[in-house]
Amino acid sequence: MNVSTMIPELLEALPLTLAIMFVALAAGFCLALLTTTFRVRRVLLISTLADLYVSYARSVPVVLQLFIAFYGLPVLVGAFGIEDFLSANLAAMVGLSLYHGGYLSEVMRPAYLAVDRGQHDAADSLGYTFQQKIARVVGPQAVHIALPGYGNSIIYLIHNVALIMYIGAADVMATAHLIMARDFNQYQFETYLLLAVFYSLLCLIAWMIIRFFENRASIYTLSNKPAKFSLTASV
Amino acid sequence: MFNFGILLPDLLSILTVVPRTIAMAVTIFVFATILGSVFTLIEHRRIPVLRELVIAYKVFFKGVPMVIAIFLAYFGLPPAFEFIASLVGLEINGYATPSWVLLIIALVGCLAAFQAEVIKGALNSFDTGQADAAHSLGYTNIQMSRRILLPQIVVAAIPDLATSLMVTMKALSLGFAISVVDIFAQAQLTAALNYYYLEAFVVAVVVYMTISYTITRGADMLERSLRVW
Repeated sequence: MNVSTMIPELLEALPLTLAIMFVALAAGFCLALLTTTFRVRRVLLISTLADLYVSYARSVPVVLQLFIAFYGLPVLVGAFGIEDFLSANLAAMVGLSLYHGGYLSEVMRPAYLAVDRGQHDAADSLGYTFQQKIARVVGPQAVHIALPGYGNSIIYLIHNVALIMYIGAADVMATAHLIMARDFNQYQFETYLLLAVFYSLLCLIAWMIIRFFENRASIYTLSNKPAKFSLTASV
Repeated sequence: MFNFGILLPDLLSILTVVPRTIAMAVTIFVFATILGSVFTLIEHRRIPVLRELVIAYKVFFKGVPMVIAIFLAYFGLPPAFEFIASLVGLEINGYATPSWVLLIIALVGCLAAFQAEVIKGALNSFDTGQADAAHSLGYTNIQMSRRILLPQIVVAAIPDLATSLMVTMKALSLGFAISVVDIFAQAQLTAALNYYYLEAFVVAVVVYMTISYTITRGADMLERSLRVW
């Protein structure tokens, strides 16, 4: 196995992998904000739908979510009159965004609820609107509480990006499979070890970035109890 | 576009593998919990060298995606089995190991790292004052664990254990890569026969969500009936 030629080849697929990941991060974050807002404000029907969406994102395996996005998108787009639409990369982005949004919502909601009740009441009694309350009082405190859980969800997203090869996106895993097949499947174990190191490094970088922000955000903390995030895997 | 008539046959076909999937999930869950408890015990007692090994183990399995761990087990375990057998002078064919065994070993390895965290969290919720009280009443360590520690931490751990049982269930869906048939793989196989992919996957989603709902409700009821204070 020639590691020195293999690593550059794997790195060529890195931009696409990272692009899909960052789209999922950004879109998932917006989606989670929206979902969490509906879940804590109890709007009739929409809140129930938001609850259903979160339980879909959390109780269905990510592979299955990706396949749903892959085969569901053409049907959805077909309703608008566009025929023969099938894109693995777009489906990967949509599927992972939906997954990340649902998972993140279950981080944001406990963080929102963990902010001291008195802070909510004080803001409400001063006549703050919901947006003002979030932006000026609850938000900054909730950020500190939510950061460890957010770090976990990013790491799980990195793990699950490894699954997008199954719907045919040409990411790092798919490239590795091509390389293995070209070498007549001699060095499968070694290649997967290399991939393990690769993904560990990605997780390590993400973890260090989150740690940096955790240290910075601690200036906003009152004596809030940290919200409880159970550390279970997410697949 | 969406064939509603195919949903019922798909559901019947997928339901046939549900017992097998649950059986595998429970097996993995039990072994992972046992292994996780051993890890927690090692960390709790601060056993010198083993403790560092456990920490390294946890870091590795939390940083590596489960698919990669499964593939590593799939390609790495058979030669390892042969090597170990050759040490004791046996001649076995490691490559004949059924892939579901390899999947179970891989997932037990992965999930034990997370299960250790769950158990550690439950253990931290235990009030050490109660242990002191028990010791001052002359309880031995074993009596204290059995009568005071266990009943409390088991109840405290129920919600997290339910979550991790569901996670185990979902993790099995990665087994289709090494040809283990669970709910997801069966949906794929069913769809491959009639080409209605979206329909089969929607049915699988419903099955997964139903199981998850049942597990959550069951855990809630169990917790309520066990919680005495």
